[in-house]
Amino acid sequence: MMPGSSAVRQQYSAQDIELRRQYVGLTGDDLQRIAGIRSLVAGKATEFADVFFDFLRPFDVAAGLLRHAALLSEVTRLKRLHILDMVGGEYDAEYASRRAQLAVLYGQAGIDVRVFLGAFHHVMRAIGIDIMHQGSGTDPEAAFLSFMSLKKVGFFDIGIIVDLLIDERERTISLQQVAVRELSTPVLQVRDRLLVLPIIGVIDTQRAKQLTDSMLHAIRANRARVVVMDITGVAAVDSRVANHLMQSAAAARLMGAKTIITGISAEVAQVLVMLGGDSLLVHAVGDLQGGIEEAERLLGLQVVPIVPA
Amino acid sequence: MTVPILKQGSVLIACVQSALTDGELSQLRDELAQGIGRYRATGVIVDVSAVDVLDSFGSRTLRSIVFIARLRGAETVVVGIQPEVAYAMVQLGLTMEGIATALDMEEGLALLHAVPRARRGV
Repeated sequence: MMPGSSAVRQQYSAQDIELRRQYVGLTGDDLQRIAGIRSLVAGKATEFADVFFDFLRPFDVAAGLLRHAALLSEVTRLKRLHILDMVGGEYDAEYASRRAQLAVLYGQAGIDVRVFLGAFHHVMRAIGIDIMHQGSGTDPEAAFLSFMSLKKVGFFDIGIIVDLLIDERERTISLQQVAVRELSTPVLQVRDRLLVLPIIGVIDTQRAKQLTDSMLHAIRANRARVVVMDITGVAAVDSRVANHLMQSAAAARLMGAKTIITGISAEVAQVLVMLGGDSLLVHAVGDLQGGIEEAERLLGLQVVPIVPA
Repeated sequence: MTVPILKQGSVLIACVQSALTDGELSQLRDELAQGIGRYRATGVIVDVSAVDVLDSFGSRTLRSIVFIARLRGAETVVVGIQPEVAYAMVQLGLTMEGIATALDMEEGLALLHAVPRARRGV
């Protein structure tokens, strides 16, 4: 067990580990060869770990990590352990969890896949040079094979670490998506029986459903007869979005409410015409003001100035 | 369960109170077709506010009710389609083009009373 780490431990099943070992082709022969270079690599573990951080030094992405002393010392400790482990001969779930722990810290430090691969490559290169250097006098071929075996372990580790770095990124993206989705689409009543729906941002299937849903419920709650949907703030309209808008309008009609769409920009209008179909059937008015005026006309309302002009 | 058909002035009101079988829907269609002639109705309201699912047969029958009534000289308004039902119908492509819809009974009656006035205005 690793003390002093707050990171959640990643669990790997024996099956997953076995599969990963098969992917990189790690066999009993490899384990034997690695055993032969164990003392050499383990003896210089600190040195090799330093190669990793020396590589990072000139890059902006690593600035956060290098400035953060506590994080750096933890990562350095884990990195050194990583190199000792690589020649340790035990490549099991426990081994994978320890690499995962390191990957989580990389993620926190903002080291992405590209930077990690670059740095790790340098470490492997340094180890490779040492192995070849020592083995060149006696048996260069055996030294090369040993290094290739160690390289399999390296790729085994890369598989685990890159997986986690990508997971971390996907998690960030999905959190952002949730945040955007939670920006609710307001349905506003501006006159008796008249609702306005300002739509801003990107409409995806999930949001379109939510939008239609809240509109239909608002129609019932406010007894609306006209809904003005303003899409001035919708950057891009493709066939799916157009379809969503049409479906919302059709559903509103089934509930007895008429939908007016306003704020269709020149670009969006061109896209809609290109897409053809029933998009031409919508009741569209240039801007929101015009839409509300049209809706008032439909409702038989008239706005008059208090003092006759 | 048969659908009661009420008469209110020159308007026939059919309140569908639960999900109907295909047979009951057809029966409703036939009774309305006859009722329009018998009561000399000029308007029909079909209230589906208690219905939580409208499939393609249901909406096709509603459609045929509307067109039969129109041929018999009465305008039909379908009222009370619930938000979930409306959304599901649109997903299925059942948009009931050319059929008048209204939020509830009150709106439906207002719409029916407005239509003849509009006709007289022309």
